[in-house]
Amino acid sequence: METMMFKQIKSHFATDDVEVKRNDLYKVGVRHERLFELIHMLRDEYDYKTLNAITCTDWIEEGHFALTYMLTTEDRKHTFMIQTMINREDAHIKSFSHEFKQAEIMERDLHEMYGIDFQGNKNLKELSLENWVHTPPLRREFDTLEFVNNNLTFREGRDDNIDTKVESKRLRALKKAEKEAAKKAKEAAAAETVKDEEVKDGK
Amino acid sequence: MEHNGFLQEQKTLEGDLNSDTSHKSSVDFLMNWFRKRSIFVLAYGTGCGAIEMPPTFTSRYDAERLGIRGAATPRQADVIIVSGYCSYKTLRRIIRTYEQMSNPKYLLALGSCTVNGGMYWDSYNTIKKLEDYLPVDMYVNGCMPRPESILEGFIALQKEIGEGKASSWQKYEENYEFYRKNQEAVLGEKVEPSYDADWYLYDGGL
Repeated sequence: METMMFKQIKSHFATDDVEVKRNDLYKVGVRHERLFELIHMLRDEYDYKTLNAITCTDWIEEGHFALTYMLTTEDRKHTFMIQTMINREDAHIKSFSHEFKQAEIMERDLHEMYGIDFQGNKNLKELSLENWVHTPPLRREFDTLEFVNNNLTFREGRDDNIDTKVESKRLRALKKAEKEAAKKAKEAAAAETVKDEEVKDGK
Repeated sequence: MEHNGFLQEQKTLEGDLNSDTSHKSSVDFLMNWFRKRSIFVLAYGTGCGAIEMPPTFTSRYDAERLGIRGAATPRQADVIIVSGYCSYKTLRRIIRTYEQMSNPKYLLALGSCTVNGGMYWDSYNTIKKLEDYLPVDMYVNGCMPRPESILEGFIALQKEIGEGKASSWQKYEENYEFYRKNQEAVLGEKVEPSYDADWYLYDGGL
């Protein structure tokens, strides 16, 4: 059945990007125009009825987001990852919320964290942030540390604060020197005993 | 030292709690004594440190032997515990809750997150120094502090209350502009959270 399914996907959607990740996990990459067609096909013909998750990866160097839709069969034994690329600037894709109710909150999350516009989702408001006006925080051009330095104050360290890296380096060097000194002393002692024995033998 | 378990532990913990002599008058002394011996802690937890509070207040560590017990609402509570990292969204609720509490009120901050951000030091969504936004009476450090540490923090707080030194709520009233300015800097002009039910009832629910 799997081979038939793969064959159909390859021929219908003109993609070679079909992969068996595990014996219960498959992955396919499609162009975002054909995404919904593929999901409909899997849902209607191959029993992939549940949308588990929508995840997003930010490929800033290539200039796109990789959206992954995960579908599971009704008997919960097989999972299909359907990956599609969308443009990073002006990121938008059609919403799935009218077909899978659970997609609404997943899309809301991605909208908040990556700024992706899911066209057709009527409830794209903030999920866990409040009054956020900056770049969406999970986009990789958002510099967290810079944001923190600009907006928040850190506690100043104590006067007797020690740089742990420098301190541990110093302690390690000290320990090493000690060890070497002990080794040298031992060798010297050994040499002495040998000398003593030689002297004894000489007598 | 004679070892007799629990009693000995309590003796060690309380130590010189009863020997303070810095009170101004006997009325002051009595007031402070009553306050330190009946601390009602708001049943409210933020962040991961809230997990250490149930054992502190239940039979294993039994904070009630020291006069510390839970309270259901902010209006009935004396102490609020900020137990761990504190995101902007939580900070709004903490400020609202703190301002609802009646005087005298005390704030106990747990964990390194409230001291300097802890492991969330570079997080875009958590504050780093709690004392910029709310007055803190006692910090208990650790990540997370064990119930023993929390109890010791409480004892230290009780001692300060007994001596009349714990007066952070007065500090908050006197320096309200300072705190409000800092709160607005991270939360925007509308600091208080909105309590309408539209997240639940409209727009497709949560």
